[in-house]
Amino acid sequence: MSQLVWNGLFVGSFYALVALGYSMVYGIIKLLNFAHGDLYMLGAFIGFAVLGAAGGVSAAMALPLLLAVLVLTMGVTGLAGVLLERVAYRRLRGAPRLSLLITAVGASFALEYGMRAAAGADPRVYPVRLGGTSVEVLGARITLQQLALVAVAVVLMLGLNLLVTRSREGRAMRAVALDPKAAALMGIDVDAVISRTFFLGSALAGAAGVMAGAHYGKIDFMMGFLIGLKAFTAAVIGGIGNIPGTMLGGLLLGLLESFGTFWLGGEWRDVFAFGVLILFLTVRPTGLLGERVTERV
Amino acid sequence: MRKLYGTALAAVMASAVLLTAGCGQGLLGGDDAGSGDKKDEPIVLGMLIPQSGSEAAIGPYMSNAAQLAVDEINAKGGVLGRKLELKTADDACDPQTAAAGANKLVTAGIHVSIGGYCSGATLPTLPIFAKTDIPMIIPAANSQELVDQKLKNVFLINGTGSQQAGAAAAWMTKEGATKVALMHDNTSYSKDIALRTQTLLDEPGGPETAILEAVTPKESDYSANITKVLAKKPDYVYWTGYFQEGGLIARQLRQAGYKGKIMVGDGSVSPKLIEIAGAEAATGVYATMTQTPDTLQGAESWIANYKQKFGADPGPYSNQAYDAVRLAAEAVTKAGGTDGQKVISALEGIDGFSMFSGPLKFTPEHTLSTGGFQILVVKDGKFVLQDALQ
Repeated sequence: MSQLVWNGLFVGSFYALVALGYSMVYGIIKLLNFAHGDLYMLGAFIGFAVLGAAGGVSAAMALPLLLAVLVLTMGVTGLAGVLLERVAYRRLRGAPRLSLLITAVGASFALEYGMRAAAGADPRVYPVRLGGTSVEVLGARITLQQLALVAVAVVLMLGLNLLVTRSREGRAMRAVALDPKAAALMGIDVDAVISRTFFLGSALAGAAGVMAGAHYGKIDFMMGFLIGLKAFTAAVIGGIGNIPGTMLGGLLLGLLESFGTFWLGGEWRDVFAFGVLILFLTVRPTGLLGERVTERV
Repeated sequence: MRKLYGTALAAVMASAVLLTAGCGQGLLGGDDAGSGDKKDEPIVLGMLIPQSGSEAAIGPYMSNAAQLAVDEINAKGGVLGRKLELKTADDACDPQTAAAGANKLVTAGIHVSIGGYCSGATLPTLPIFAKTDIPMIIPAANSQELVDQKLKNVFLINGTGSQQAGAAAAWMTKEGATKVALMHDNTSYSKDIALRTQTLLDEPGGPETAILEAVTPKESDYSANITKVLAKKPDYVYWTGYFQEGGLIARQLRQAGYKGKIMVGDGSVSPKLIEIAGAEAATGVYATMTQTPDTLQGAESWIANYKQKFGADPGPYSNQAYDAVRLAAEAVTKAGGTDGQKVISALEGIDGFSMFSGPLKFTPEHTLSTGGFQILVVKDGKFVLQDALQ
């Protein structure tokens, strides 16, 4: 039982990290950025390239090196997100919502198959792996490296939450999310705020990508597709546009999958997870912690 | 408006069906007329293999080996005085891409199909080739579903799923396993082997099936499945899917503290499995597999030729692809031409044709009379022969 909970929380913290970017972008420009999962993939490959360039390292140095690579990758993936917004979305901001959505799907394919052209279709294996010995905690087997990854994820999420709720920057973001026109009239540089939002969301996805690469080992150009859908599901469950809600949604989806697999069998897991998505969309479209729609319009 | 749209769609679909049907007949007619007078035209072999997608690593092993056989045969004067020519198409291990690729090959006028790696992708191509009487020699794909179509033009030169299941059950019984966990990825090929193994294990006397568990392919985290499997306390885990998930599952089983044995099916036999699982988790993993270049006896000169030509070692299914070309050439020679029906009869009549897997004779179902499955084991970062199961 405790093993199931831990499995769910571990997977869920990845979902939450990726879902945050989805949620923030949706919150601020009402765009479902379907290319977001591919930024996770991009992060994993950037981390792979950086680690490859760093050459062989001893096992003792693995964790500090990975942290350095993590920070670097977050920066590069964040810039990639900013570029994506600048190239693919900014000019369409006034266009009908459907055009943006289609562009997002197009951007997703461009990233996936661009990476295939650049890195090949073969899966790659991370040169530095987080294996590690496991310890028993309350009957669940947990590796220290897993704990470290979850800790990093929690720190990143808390940091983001602080940034959004406590800083000037965050206030500007919330202002733009509430009403971009009024925010602009109040002297906020809306374009810059949106760029920064993309930077933050993409950096978190990049971090998740590196962490997944280091933990699971295998990366490939399609790895972002499914997690993008799962992250979207997590965001909807928790309340898209709402940051604590999205984190909650990610963890909840991880737990749902873990228990769904155990009770119903592996072949029913995705049916179960996406069934919950449909249920939420029909019964409570704003998600667990989402605001009421009337307030937004 | 909605109704109108529906009608229009139906009309478009109907005309598309007519169009393809028309195409098929036109080609068939052209082929019949052509085979008589085009004596100096090459004999075209078509090969559908994964050149992109998750199984893209396998494609070159197969097409290179086929090309090697084509070049060797051409150097000896070809077949019936005509040159052989190889045309490849990508199936991406995906049913839709495969069907499109098959249609492309049919349009290109191939005489014999010698491709097929992923069973799920090969299945929809069967009727496409059957419609135009193109004989299919399938080098790798081996799901029982391919056999169950009972198509006259389909020949399998790899051991079948039921033969693989037989080898797996025999080995696990020999090893004294008691509780076996069977894991598959819900694709036709993988599920078929798992279910057949389960049937064999259910017979009294041997090990019993503790659990049959399906996983979602293309994911990274299988811990939920693994927790479920390990709750049944198995002492043998048999994974029947492909290497990407196989590597992750082997690694995550060990991380979850599983101490028993792990065995994988032939789709998982790839150096990448060892790389993904990591040397520690991969060492000691068994596999049910037909002959690979590494386990072939007396193939040193063939391997050297391959290496000289392509600058790399042959890989899984190189030998079967090479044999498929040679078999196609033999059948066309026996048939005295490329007429589909005659080549099919010639293939059915073949007895004792020498291949890497031994002398060939097809069963009435067009499969090998002996599967030739062996047990491999990962040792020093490589799959090596453990037991030939003779």
